[in-house]
Amino acid sequence: MTTLVMGLKGAYYIFWREIKRFMGQKMRILMSLVQPVIWLVLMGSMMARLTDNPVTAEMIGIDNYLAFMVPGVMMMSSLYTGVFGGISIIWDRRMGFLIKLLSAPIPRYSIALGKIAALVLQTIFQASVIVLLAFMMGITFVTGLPGIMLTLVICGLFAAIMSCISLFLSASIRTPETLFSVINFLTLPLVFSSSALFPTAAMPDWIQVIARFNPISYAVAPVRSLVISGWDWSTLFTGMWLLLLMFLVFFSLVYYRFEKGSLL
Amino acid sequence: MHNNGEMINVNNISVVYPGGIKALDGVSFKVPEQEIFGLLGPNGAGKTTLIMVLTTLLAPTGGKAQVNGLDVVKDKNRVRLNLGYVSQELAIDDELSGMDNLKLQAGLYHMEKAIRKPRIEEVLDLVGLSERAHDRVDTYSGGMRKRLDIACGLIHRPGILFLDEPTLGLDIQTRHEIWHYINRLREEVKMTILLTTHYMDEADSLCRRIAIIDQGSLKAIDTPDNLKKQLGGGLIIFQFDQAAASSTINQALGSLNEKEFVKEITLKNGEYRLLTDNSEEKLPLFFDALDGLKLNLKKVTLKMPSLDDVFLYYTGRQLRDESVSREQIDRVRSSMRRLRKTR
Repeated sequence: MTTLVMGLKGAYYIFWREIKRFMGQKMRILMSLVQPVIWLVLMGSMMARLTDNPVTAEMIGIDNYLAFMVPGVMMMSSLYTGVFGGISIIWDRRMGFLIKLLSAPIPRYSIALGKIAALVLQTIFQASVIVLLAFMMGITFVTGLPGIMLTLVICGLFAAIMSCISLFLSASIRTPETLFSVINFLTLPLVFSSSALFPTAAMPDWIQVIARFNPISYAVAPVRSLVISGWDWSTLFTGMWLLLLMFLVFFSLVYYRFEKGSLL
Repeated sequence: MHNNGEMINVNNISVVYPGGIKALDGVSFKVPEQEIFGLLGPNGAGKTTLIMVLTTLLAPTGGKAQVNGLDVVKDKNRVRLNLGYVSQELAIDDELSGMDNLKLQAGLYHMEKAIRKPRIEEVLDLVGLSERAHDRVDTYSGGMRKRLDIACGLIHRPGILFLDEPTLGLDIQTRHEIWHYINRLREEVKMTILLTTHYMDEADSLCRRIAIIDQGSLKAIDTPDNLKKQLGGGLIIFQFDQAAASSTINQALGSLNEKEFVKEITLKNGEYRLLTDNSEEKLPLFFDALDGLKLNLKKVTLKMPSLDDVFLYYTGRQLRDESVSREQIDRVRSSMRRLRKTR
């Protein structure tokens, strides 16, 4: 058996375990469904009146704030699923389970790969729920089913990038509390300096510069075009290309960290 | 695969942690196939470090180690396929069922699909968990979890099973339950087992051979019986009836002193202590020597050296004595420093 086959098989069983655990955690599934409801129904209704004002409506680019916000909520949900995913490494280490994985005949990167795959699947599940929920609230994708499929792919890719970051950090961080504070430190400014919830046009100039290079903006823009305006190939191409590149960079970091460094 | 009948061959292994702490210092030994081998030592002696080297989790800084004829550094993946490792902590996922834990293990060890199911049933039966297989592990008792952990270590039929402190933290009843299953493995699966422990009775009742390790080096290695005999056999302690005449006593002692098995007789606190090489075997000779003399013995006691005595002899410490040494404190501190750095 080549090492690559061993790695992929190993990753599959890590993935299988994560999904089994996820399915057993009824509360976690429930919360992952409830959270987008709260975002959309509460936040969406709260802000809905924004578009009554013609100036803000112009900044947002559509007279329905909810339609503007759906891609943002999808990306936030992908972000948080991915970025907190690394915590499972910390728990595995604490439980002593990590030792078992490390002494198994699988390369170490397959532990990361399996966990990333499981997080991507969970993200796609959550994103589908948001699509369904948005549909019930009257928001439809102008690009139809193919647009929805591509949206799910973008969400998955974005979650994969975020879980790489999380796994990279968790490889060295030993307590959940530390991971939480590091992640909050990173994500909160990232979310609010992106175009996820607010139009960049409404931001001060200096935040607009940050927003332009914010990875969340690159993930949100293509999805927003799929929901609101149609097949905007240049936005799609730029977004996808950059996300893919980021995934490769961060996965390489994780690969290197897992293969070369100590995980215990 | 050439292992020359040796499942483990450790040659002059050293491990020096960053900061210069020597966890292992030139350890060498061999373990033949199908032996239950015990590693004994106080906390921080280097037992777990040695197991980490043999299970490929830690590369030694010096020396060579082979498991089933395979080098633990150069041939990591093949070594891993050959070993089962049951670590000190319970390495099972308690949010899954026992069955799912075993399925996961079978998958991670690349077992053929067709043999997975019968093998899972076989190990479940071996550790007596068949009936609870589909329950979530968080409903299991401590002993059941440990048994499941051992089953996970067995599922791919490794050449050698590493049991790191298999009964640490378990109550006496559960410890005996685990011993029962380890003995069952020895009889039914006939596998090589390397276990670490700091319970003397555990080592004594399970292991064919024992190595005593302290401060990173090997102090002694032999069967428990030989280790005890090397300490100088045993004592027959006896007292005569108070009514016995001193002349008869002198006659008896004289007769005993002539016998070949008697090394020395001393009187201490009104008790005679007869030193011999194996007090149990020599007891009949003792009675033979006194036969015919009109002498009543008040009491006779046998004392064999225990493994505790052996351990005390080699390490200068009582094993159950968990007092923390200077070195251990240093070790803990340095690992805390490592932790802080990574945060």
